Amino acid sequence: MGQIVDIGKRIELVPMDPHFHDITIALYQQGQDESPLFLVHTYSQMEGAQGRIQFAIETMTHLGNLVEDTNRLLRFPCEAAHQLACRRAFLESCKLSPNDSAEPRPLQIPDKKSGLTITVDSLGQGIYQVQADGEGRRADRRISAIAGGLMKLGEMEEVDGTLDKVAFPCGHSHDALLGLLLVRAPNVRAIVREQEMAASRGVLAAPSQQN
Amino acid sequence: MGTQKQTVGPMSGKERVLAALKREPVDRTPICNPTSVATVELMDLVDAPFPEANRQPELMARLAATGYTELGFDTIMPVFTIIQESSALGCKIQWEQKDNWPTVRMREPIWEDVDEIKIPSDYLTHQDTKCVLDAIKILKKEYGDDVAIIGKTMGPWSLGYHCFGVEPFLLLSLDDPGKTKLALDRMKQATIEFGVAQIEAGADALTLPDHATGDLVSGEYYERYLRDLHTEFVDQIPIPLILHICGRTVDRMDYIAQTGMAAFHYDSKNEPDESMEVVKERISLVGNINNPETLFSKGPEDVRGEVYKNLESGVHLIGPECAIPLQTAIENLKEIPKAVQNWHKEHAGLN
Repeated sequence: MGQIVDIGKRIELVPMDPHFHDITIALYQQGQDESPLFLVHTYSQMEGAQGRIQFAIETMTHLGNLVEDTNRLLRFPCEAAHQLACRRAFLESCKLSPNDSAEPRPLQIPDKKSGLTITVDSLGQGIYQVQADGEGRRADRRISAIAGGLMKLGEMEEVDGTLDKVAFPCGHSHDALLGLLLVRAPNVRAIVREQEMAASRGVLAAPSQQN
Repeated sequence: MGTQKQTVGPMSGKERVLAALKREPVDRTPICNPTSVATVELMDLVDAPFPEANRQPELMARLAATGYTELGFDTIMPVFTIIQESSALGCKIQWEQKDNWPTVRMREPIWEDVDEIKIPSDYLTHQDTKCVLDAIKILKKEYGDDVAIIGKTMGPWSLGYHCFGVEPFLLLSLDDPGKTKLALDRMKQATIEFGVAQIEAGADALTLPDHATGDLVSGEYYERYLRDLHTEFVDQIPIPLILHICGRTVDRMDYIAQTGMAAFHYDSKNEPDESMEVVKERISLVGNINNPETLFSKGPEDVRGEVYKNLESGVHLIGPECAIPLQTAIENLKEIPKAVQNWHKEHAGLN
């Protein structure tokens, strides 16, 4: 009778896709923390919906360093979960329209808060070093804050008590994924606010609780 | 486990729900949705998104049916919102988009004085009430033998918030109890008319939300303003009624149990054990599975834990505590019937 089958655990949701008829797109995880696979899915049977899903999948491979496996399932080449980072790659991919470029982001960004240019260098074995150049202020604090942002967004770890180095626990490099996270790392609070606002939509409040 | 002690043969979802609403024996505890289990993913599945699914009967029926066809509940409830009547009464509605609930613009109240209360002549033919009636007819025809079709008619306290505004209505209740009772008495006609029309359309039971919620209204207030009115509804709307009030309500459950309502849809802020102790088999309890923390934010294991807790306490019908968040994961909703069935398998022969 039902059409819904078990497709894994839903770990992220875009309730309304602004680029394709407001369809809902979700990210599902199949398997546990060891070698999980990720499925981008919509229940919409609207014509063209599967094309939109394929675009999101391909964008995730470009922006997030994921690889497309059989049956349109995604995984990281290192086979680790990196669940938070995968969710970020999914959300950022769904923000793009088919007309947008899905090129990997550079490992260098201007930091609006300090005026500095932030660069991240790969040191191998999944370790990255954050550096700052330019005329801006408070370079040490900004390096530390951005490294902290990367740790929060990508579940990365600090390296030997340093404030400027972070590492993926899998021990593998993920340059494209780091470029994606780097854009958001200077302002993690904005991400948290965005998530809280998204989560509060669609929750019915009693009349006495409504504004 | 009051309703499971006597062994009965296999029942349809409809028979199961109606028996549990009378606290009669059932083959297993029914899974009941007295409010809404609509989600954005289910809207996509059947191409029936909000806000259209709140205003077009075919879409409303199609989305509501997924509660049975996809999730496995024993009920179908097409009245997702709490604003259909208020729209027909003339309130301004913010219809929102697919991912949010429509709301009444309570800062633009339609009535300021009791004398202004008037039920429009087109109340039951207005698009937003007629949509509900037509959706019930569609569902009755298609699923009426299998599951219980549950409608909804809003109580006068909720209508008072919508039509007068929350603050003015609460202030009225403090300043002028006489006028407040008069207002409730006049607004009750909207509750009765819409309820009776849904019975005629084919509803098997009705949810009656009346938001005398635990945060703003005391148990004493409930007794003073609403107990007798709710008792009257039992006579005037001849069908099993499921009263819905959000929040911590143990302080008024004894009064609620005196009304003769078939069931009370209760919030997770009330423990199943303490609630069952208060109502003492005078009214069935339904609900209690937490929405924001469990169904929305946690996983199936936690959902199962809450279902089991209610079953262990002998709660008569299991379901979410209120309308579920629209982004709730389907796997969590499907876990409710799964957990009920597993619990009964585990306890087979123990009753």
